[in-house]
Amino acid sequence: MAEPIIDNGVVIDDTFAEAFPMKATRLLITAFDANWASNAAVAMTGFATSVIACGCEAGIERSLSPDETPDGRPGVSVLIFAMSGKELAKQVERRVGQCVLTCPTTAVFAGLDEGEPIALGRNLRFFGDGWQISKMIDGKRYWRVPVMDGEFVAEETTPVVKGVGGGNLLILGRDTASALAAAEAGVAAMRQVPNVIMPFPGGVVRSGSKVGAKYPALMASTNDAFCPALTPLAKKTELTDEVRCVMEIVIDGLTDADVAAATRAGMAAIVDRGSAAGVVRLSAGNYGGKLGPFHFHLHRLHGGEGAP
Amino acid sequence: MSEAWLLRQRSVPALGVDFSAVSPSRVAALSADEVARLTVPMGREAVALGELFEVVVRKGDGPALRIEGDCSRLHGIGRGMDGGRIVVDGPVGDYLGAEMTAGEIRVDGDAGALAACALAGGRIEIGGDVGDFAASALPGAMDGMRGGVLVVRGSAGKRFGDRMRRGTAVVHGAVGDFLASRMVAGTIALAGAVGEHPGFGMRRGTLVFAGDRPRVPDTFSPTGHDIRVFWALLARSLAAFGAPFGGLAGRLPERVVGDLGADGKGEWLLPA
Repeated sequence: MAEPIIDNGVVIDDTFAEAFPMKATRLLITAFDANWASNAAVAMTGFATSVIACGCEAGIERSLSPDETPDGRPGVSVLIFAMSGKELAKQVERRVGQCVLTCPTTAVFAGLDEGEPIALGRNLRFFGDGWQISKMIDGKRYWRVPVMDGEFVAEETTPVVKGVGGGNLLILGRDTASALAAAEAGVAAMRQVPNVIMPFPGGVVRSGSKVGAKYPALMASTNDAFCPALTPLAKKTELTDEVRCVMEIVIDGLTDADVAAATRAGMAAIVDRGSAAGVVRLSAGNYGGKLGPFHFHLHRLHGGEGAP
Repeated sequence: MSEAWLLRQRSVPALGVDFSAVSPSRVAALSADEVARLTVPMGREAVALGELFEVVVRKGDGPALRIEGDCSRLHGIGRGMDGGRIVVDGPVGDYLGAEMTAGEIRVDGDAGALAACALAGGRIEIGGDVGDFAASALPGAMDGMRGGVLVVRGSAGKRFGDRMRRGTAVVHGAVGDFLASRMVAGTIALAGAVGEHPGFGMRRGTLVFAGDRPRVPDTFSPTGHDIRVFWALLARSLAAFGAPFGGLAGRLPERVVGDLGADGKGEWLLPA
């Protein structure tokens, strides 16, 4: 490892986050008011932290004001990422079917303009049992499915684009409180950046993983090099004695530039708070650079460079 | 960029002319001489375009065709058209833009019967009135207009949108009897008075009565549910058609469904 950068007392490792291509789509969920739009979006993006066992990674991108939505009602924009277009289609159908169609007063629309279309309302319409109505409006097909509160309106398809998943930032803190506060500040800054989600609870993951395990059945296991419990034990540790708690922010974005922008914003927010707030180092997770095509070098991002 | 052509009428033809062979994409590749030599059927004869029109090349964003004069004996203008633009400065005959799949037609005048019949794509705008059976099916055919947009600034005749199955048709003026008869799907928006028996036998599709409110027949029934979402989408789209449709978003409509004698999945939207 080359020379680290030290800014405001925080050491920034000369390393990089390694990210992977994913398939992504954006959905706009609207409802009678912001609360019900949020209820649907929260349910729909639940249990979607990691593709390891959730099938997809999903999160709320931001809230939408009535003048930003197709039907002029309050809404929420969500992003969904999966490892293949087929898996994404399956997840969208299940999640929208169980969490948005079911949620009072909601409607769902595609949130991207270009891309290979996958079904959105196309298959959910059959819930209408023959009473569903198709309408073409300005070249877009919508389905109106009679439900007990009126009708559920869903756009026929949603476009899928190539996305980037697994961007990350590791926050090495002196204790739990300071690492957590820094992670929260980082996530808050990243949420200001468009086209990204941080899919873990509150945007933060404490169980960073490495590939493989001593147990053949496991694809991933704890990232022992960053576990403070294993500093004196693990064959290879990345931690020093003063690091007692590590938090990770995982970032999925529509493009590598978006992930870079979010990483940069998060780093800036954490560095601003400085070592006085208990952060020792910032680092990132990678697999030696051989697995993922997208590399987010922390030094370059901190230096203000654009996409990696 | 292809040529744009101007056809300036020399005199009104003595008989009806089948103009369907003269499409913008066809004449785009021709020289002025070749365009003048193109023949079109007139009565039982064939006549060269040059005899009917003075052919002028215009620099422009072709393929495009502009026709000036009284074209009410020119039938099938833009029929089967698959792209480009036709502008007619004057009235036109029957079958305007029938079976058209893409492109744009604008007529500054009246159009005859069967305009936009079996229209599948593109946009037709008629500045004046249009005759019977506009946006409907070709005689003997099962399917009416199936895509695209028809805008009538004036009034429309009888059987407007007969057997229509997709697309959007807008009439700023009045429409005649049997509006949207046997309609299968699609959207028709109206700003003027409506003749007798609207929606007779309509199976699906949407009629928006932005102007006069017609009497709701016994074969239509109200549904009281909340259609705010769909109305917001539709009203926003219709607003693009100008004044009488501009304020629809704020006029949440009453909705009735029918014709109950034919499935009853069609809807009338009667804005407040």
